[in-house]
Amino acid sequence: MIPALVLALGLAQQPAQQQSAPAAATMPTHAIAAPPAPSAEPAAATPGVLVERRLAEAVPLRVGDTVRVRALAGRAAPSAFVVAGVFEREADPNRIARNELELRFHLPDLQRVMEKPDRVDRFAVVLQRGARADSAARWIEGVAFGTRAIPSAALADQTSATFRVVSRFHDAIGIVTILASAIFLLCVMIIRVDERRRDMAVLRLIGVSRGTVFRAIVLEAVAIAVVGSAAGAGIGLVAARIVNAHYAAVYDTTLKFALVTPHIVLLAALLGLALGVGAGALAAWRVVAVPPQKLGER
Amino acid sequence: MIVSAFLKSLFRRRGRTLLALAGIAVSAALLLDMTMLASGLTVSFGELLGVSGYSLRVTPKGILPFDSEAGIENGRDVARRIAAVDGVRAVAPVLGAQFRIVRGDSAGEPVFTVGVDPRSEFLYRLTSGRQPGPGEIVVSEPLARDARLKPGDELALAGELDVTLGRARATRRFRVSGVGDFLYDYAGEHSLAMTLADAQAATGRAGEVSLFGVATGEGVDDDALAARIAAAVPEVSTYSTRELMGEMDKRLLYFRQLATILGSVAMVVTALLVATIITIGVRERFGEIATLRAIGVRGRRVLLAVVTEGLVLAAIGCLGGLPLGLWMAGRLDRILLSFPGIPARMTFFAWEPRRVALAMGIVIAIGALAGCIPGLGAIRAPLAQALREEAE
Repeated sequence: MIPALVLALGLAQQPAQQQSAPAAATMPTHAIAAPPAPSAEPAAATPGVLVERRLAEAVPLRVGDTVRVRALAGRAAPSAFVVAGVFEREADPNRIARNELELRFHLPDLQRVMEKPDRVDRFAVVLQRGARADSAARWIEGVAFGTRAIPSAALADQTSATFRVVSRFHDAIGIVTILASAIFLLCVMIIRVDERRRDMAVLRLIGVSRGTVFRAIVLEAVAIAVVGSAAGAGIGLVAARIVNAHYAAVYDTTLKFALVTPHIVLLAALLGLALGVGAGALAAWRVVAVPPQKLGER
Repeated sequence: MIVSAFLKSLFRRRGRTLLALAGIAVSAALLLDMTMLASGLTVSFGELLGVSGYSLRVTPKGILPFDSEAGIENGRDVARRIAAVDGVRAVAPVLGAQFRIVRGDSAGEPVFTVGVDPRSEFLYRLTSGRQPGPGEIVVSEPLARDARLKPGDELALAGELDVTLGRARATRRFRVSGVGDFLYDYAGEHSLAMTLADAQAATGRAGEVSLFGVATGEGVDDDALAARIAAAVPEVSTYSTRELMGEMDKRLLYFRQLATILGSVAMVVTALLVATIITIGVRERFGEIATLRAIGVRGRRVLLAVVTEGLVLAAIGCLGGLPLGLWMAGRLDRILLSFPGIPARMTFFAWEPRRVALAMGIVIAIGALAGCIPGLGAIRAPLAQALREEAE
């Protein structure tokens, strides 16, 4: 039961008293600018509503203004509310796609607006220290027929299904990117080694062992991979900042869309190292497997 | 001859060329997938909207289809006014509701239910049985499978649960008249359809409708008709397929932008790879190029040969990348379709020949351009110095 609201806006004659924070009720709001209409009720009797900052800026609304509100899913006449405060919505990734505007009412006020007296969508239950959430949930479901009690951990797991899918998608893309990087690094190493086949031949002919040549090439590949990884981490940091700044502007949110953590940097460095060793070993093998007399041939 | 000689040099170093082609193929595949992803869901959504034949949606003012509990009052009158608008072929009313299947003393999970005009065939296609009459329902295939329902079976549905008394309230019995393939359901979704009158009576929303599907006449422009309906019935919102796709686009902005970022990365990787291969290839043949120039071959022909080499390399890589990209798209699509609430008929990766051709064209163009820099370097290098370096 998530009702949508239409707001008809009017300016208050005088600012109302600042009120305590009402109970939260999330709802998508649809704001319609209307000609200013003075409040029909005295300010003291007018209930308060909290308005989300983005909505307050879009209308615009200030503390003390009077708005008239009616539920779209209902037939009640619009009710007057005084803007008691402006709040900043918590950064919630679950709500970013719809990114709806939000109002917060006292619960009885919202029930009245929606013509659904004594009706709630859900309760948040705080358990005493030591109480088990799952057994409390089972007890509640047994007592209150037709309800579902979900421990917050399970709820978080359910609501994060979308992000698990996104994460799997990113993993898949990551694998493709690693594959492309591996091929690229191998290509570069083989080309570099091929370029120096004559030098390698000379080294081998003057007595430098296969192992030494092999290690030298692998070390070179590792160095390239490590430097590349470090540069990649730097580019990643800059890119993450750009991405976050961009989305912060698009959604008007403080959510972080891209994070470069030490764990991610370490993982990238280790991957780079592994790819470097692999590519270096393959490229080196192509050289040391050939007799030195033939290395200089075109 | 010069060009073919340069192309043959690609096969002289087979291992290296194959590796380069593999790299280009993977990059091209990634670019192809990102191109398909950028518009895939929107295009697929548009096709899905049109599959029922009802290309417009009329909803309560300012509300997207089924985005809230809001309804359109006096549905019959509104339907009549919409039907009277020039260009409207048919109007299909829908009322959305939630019911619970009651078995004995227990009530199950809420099941999404639509009240429809059975003649419209707007939201589902019958797979067995017949359209519902009064007191009858059509169940979705997953519900029929999981609850072992078939035409003729009876089902008790409750509109509400009485928490105080501990039992279902307002329970009504319905007979299953048919099983349907619900067009907009996600994989495995349980849903029901009943007559609009039954749904209105069971929910106490007499005369109310959640939305109308509107079918347009032959050759009628959706957007123009939407504007005409909006003018004729100002208390509702009318969305054409294009507008709904635009709304979908807003909600899927993340994927479009992700596709753009990854597509750009794929292009950069392709450019670097081709440029590296060609640059080093040209460096290796510096002596050959210098000799060709010394015997009078024009620089332009040499440059053309180098550019063609890059172009051929990128083109062959693209050919390899195409099937790889399609295979990857299938795998990625399976991952993304596990999103909660995505209709099973949709796809995240749409095959649009023009966009795909553009993506592949870009890769090939990058290949050609990547050859320009080393090619220009080779033909601009002082001839005497180049010959001396080769001799040493």
